[in-house]
Amino acid sequence: MADYLDPTDSVAVPRKTAPRPASLEGRTITLLDISKAKGDHLLDRIEELLHERARPKAIVRKKKPTFARPAPDALRREIAGATDVLIEALAD
Amino acid sequence: MHDGVFFEDHGIPTATVISAEFVGAARAQAEALGATEYRTVVVPHPIQPLTRDEVRALADKAYDDIVRRLTT
Amino acid sequence: MSRASAETEADAIEELYARGVTDGLPVVPPTPARVARAVAASGRRAEELVALVPPNYGRATVEKVAVNAVMAGCRPEYLPVVLAAVEAVCDDAFDLHGVSATTNSPSPLVVVNGPIRLALDINCGAGVLGSGWRANATIGRALRLVCVNVGGATPGVVSMSTLAHPGRYSYCIGEREEASPWESLAVEHGFPVGGSTVAVLAADAPLGVYDHRSRTPEDLLGTLAASLAVVSHHKATHWGDTLVVLSPEHATTLGDAGWKKADVRRWLWERLRRPVRELVPGRDGGEGLPEHVLAKFADPARDDTLIPKFRAPENLKLVVAGGTAGRFSAIVPGWTFPKGSSLVLRPIRTP
Repeated sequence: MADYLDPTDSVAVPRKTAPRPASLEGRTITLLDISKAKGDHLLDRIEELLHERARPKAIVRKKKPTFARPAPDALRREIAGATDVLIEALAD
Repeated sequence: MHDGVFFEDHGIPTATVISAEFVGAARAQAEALGATEYRTVVVPHPIQPLTRDEVRALADKAYDDIVRRLTT
Repeated sequence: MSRASAETEADAIEELYARGVTDGLPVVPPTPARVARAVAASGRRAEELVALVPPNYGRATVEKVAVNAVMAGCRPEYLPVVLAAVEAVCDDAFDLHGVSATTNSPSPLVVVNGPIRLALDINCGAGVLGSGWRANATIGRALRLVCVNVGGATPGVVSMSTLAHPGRYSYCIGEREEASPWESLAVEHGFPVGGSTVAVLAADAPLGVYDHRSRTPEDLLGTLAASLAVVSHHKATHWGDTLVVLSPEHATTLGDAGWKKADVRRWLWERLRRPVRELVPGRDGGEGLPEHVLAKFADPARDDTLIPKFRAPENLKLVVAGGTAGRFSAIVPGWTFPKGSSLVLRPIRTP
């Protein structure tokens, strides 16, 4: 086999998921709409169900400008600094 | 997927809701970033032709999965 | 080449295909010597970082781009064009993240301007969107391989395009500046005459427009407008950058009548507005204006407010290319809805 160079570049770094709370009671929950059509209908209903069943401290609605890009840094930091958990929808 | 990995990296438990056709893409993208433990919440595909009430019904079905994804 | 080394090359071609780092066609094995020649031709350091390539944000160093360019079949002297194209698609305005992941069909189209077209024999003339020229075939291919191998846009895995199109093998043209009545695409965007540039557009497949009979700008543009009207779908509005590739004969019909590029763009933009009532979902098909736009009108089915197909006249990008015989043009739709991708230009740096 001829010696040749690698055309790829791996950027994987080991990551862990965040520790989970036992329940959503008393937590601030952010609902992030990715701006794909119909996602708002799903999140509207999720918000109702959370109010009925989860007893959160607060539910915050946020929307990123377009589903075609990751959320802008400023929006990410604003959300990360003010929420306990996040629900993001709806990629289809 | 990048958003979800960012928030998990910053200590925020995250539930990303996707339609079933994108499970493979989401997993491949998360793994490319090293987030091998990352799991999504899946609803049936397609979404775009559905009415508002049909989408709301999907939320009812997905609710328990979302809560499980966010809690221990 | 000895028989033994030919067999080694064949094995390498098979192994590279098996690794999933090709586009399905055989590639040139990127041996250290071939890659070194390409790096040297760029006049840049091998380890210099050119860009981080979405969606994985892999590191496109000069050497990593050279590896992919060698695989694509580029001659060493093409590397400065490929490097400029990689820089351009990684500009935030191009939204390569979306381009590479979407279920839509875009592929980066590279448009080359300036003297480097002639130096590298980049086809600008007959068959410009087709096959037969090494530079066009391999520069576009190299860019695509960088998007897949460094960016992670593996088809069917991360790149979820439902259909895609043949431009995902290669998509690269030169503008036939010598046959144009106007300033080039690059000069129009503020680059100096005499410089060389790439422009990249997240582009769908070209749609040919046949018009043999029109003798006036208004007649010809009427034909072109009717074809532009179906970009995305016939009721899509607020679309962004889209390329109109005018053949020299069509461009001459416009230029000889004294029309400037700005006149052409304005005429097309105005013609391509339609009243709300014609854009309502359910009239001539289920597609139409989205709910948040319809909500602005009390009675959309009777509203005469004009909605533009393209957000501004400047979104209609005109280039002249193709053979000097033939009254054909092509529309290359961009994947350019609001807040999405836009045309990006970069200068080509040669040593």
